Amino acid sequence: MSIFHYTDSLLRAAVMTLKLCAFGAVAGTAWGLVVGLLRASSFRPLRWLAALYTSVLRGVPILIVLLFTYYGLPLAMPNLRFSAYICGAIGLTLFVGAYVAEAVRGGLESVPTGQTEAAQALGLSNFQRLRLVMLPQAVRVIVPPWIGILLALVKETSLVSVVGLVELTRAGRVVGQESNNTLAAFALVALVYFVICWPIGQFGRWYEHRLAASGLRTVHEPAVSNLLGEDAEVPTGGAA
Amino acid sequence: MVTWDFSALSPYKSIILHGIGETALVSVLSFALACVLGLIAYLGCANHLRPVRVISSIYVEVIRNIPMLVVLFFIYFGLGEKGLNFSPFWAAVAALAINNGAYLAEIFRAGFQAVPSGLHEAASALGLGPFQTFRHVTFMPGIRNIIPAATNQFIMLMLFSSVASTVAFPDLTYELQRINSATLRTFEVFTVGAALYYVLSTAIALAAGLLSRRMYRW
Repeated sequence: MSIFHYTDSLLRAAVMTLKLCAFGAVAGTAWGLVVGLLRASSFRPLRWLAALYTSVLRGVPILIVLLFTYYGLPLAMPNLRFSAYICGAIGLTLFVGAYVAEAVRGGLESVPTGQTEAAQALGLSNFQRLRLVMLPQAVRVIVPPWIGILLALVKETSLVSVVGLVELTRAGRVVGQESNNTLAAFALVALVYFVICWPIGQFGRWYEHRLAASGLRTVHEPAVSNLLGEDAEVPTGGAA
Repeated sequence: MVTWDFSALSPYKSIILHGIGETALVSVLSFALACVLGLIAYLGCANHLRPVRVISSIYVEVIRNIPMLVVLFFIYFGLGEKGLNFSPFWAAVAALAINNGAYLAEIFRAGFQAVPSGLHEAASALGLGPFQTFRHVTFMPGIRNIIPAATNQFIMLMLFSSVASTVAFPDLTYELQRINSATLRTFEVFTVGAALYYVLSTAIALAAGLLSRRMYRW
């Protein structure tokens, strides 16, 4: 049977992929913001904990995180029911959060220290200083790596197929088997991913161009430093 | 509450070690191939022949915008169905190399472009040939900018090689899943697994740090 006979099921699967992306993007960004701000906290244990979290999550495969949430969550909380979707979405959130936290830290560090001193001199509280002075200036620097993280997230959702959720990649496999044309099925699946990712990447390029025009360079000086390149370039696409 | 018992894993020590070996092998081999592919794609994108440029850019753009898992399934299941059979090992190596080659092409571009154009002018003033110019003026200074980003990419590749377990390649992740279903010690198994991957990626970062410190001395 022609591959186009299965357009409906592929579209439904694409919607599932988009749902995972949306969940991961919103929850992951919120969680990353929290962890990133904790890394700038004045309370040392919190700072260490947040640093440990980002370092560990950035040093293990997303697949391990997903297997952990998929097999682990139902065991840890036996009286709650976890669908593959929720386990996958939580795994993605934890993973994305670590990368967003790194971007937030980089953004906050890009704000000149004079701004902090000025805020203190004006008598702003810590929270006010973050909300009114630091974050608005940091956001511009955070956006480019954040877009890279989103792009990686779209591609990482394909791994949720491993824990049995029928999203785009899984659907491609099933449609391929049923239509006896796996090659065409995955070509179609690849096309859908491309259509989702390409505009995001183009927006990122346009934004970086604008930033460069305003005199702000966002390409971080690459440097291998202590564990896992703390200051190394935030990968703008990952390897997903 | 779950009780933790890592001793349940001790009979599987040799299996885990074997898995680490396979992960290391697949990562190193595919990174080497990815570097070659990335260099070709980078040079192709800068080629004066339009068709070469177009093909190279399409490769980079397409691969960067689709998941590696789709590339892997395309090769393993898709080409397999058409009679072109790859073993799980070679399918994983091919997918990782093709995927990372596109990212490395961008890394090479950024790194080599950072070399000031004055150096190229100086090279031609000194009468260096095109090969000499590439070797001494583009490649050696450029590689300095590239090592940190390429290291990151290698770490990413190693972490993503876990995806090879989906086509039953017996790497670390595959063995962990097998041990998990045999022992049902989920937390212990994946904690040990995460720790091992973390140690691997940290080791790569440290090794690259040492390497670049040595190289920065020229």
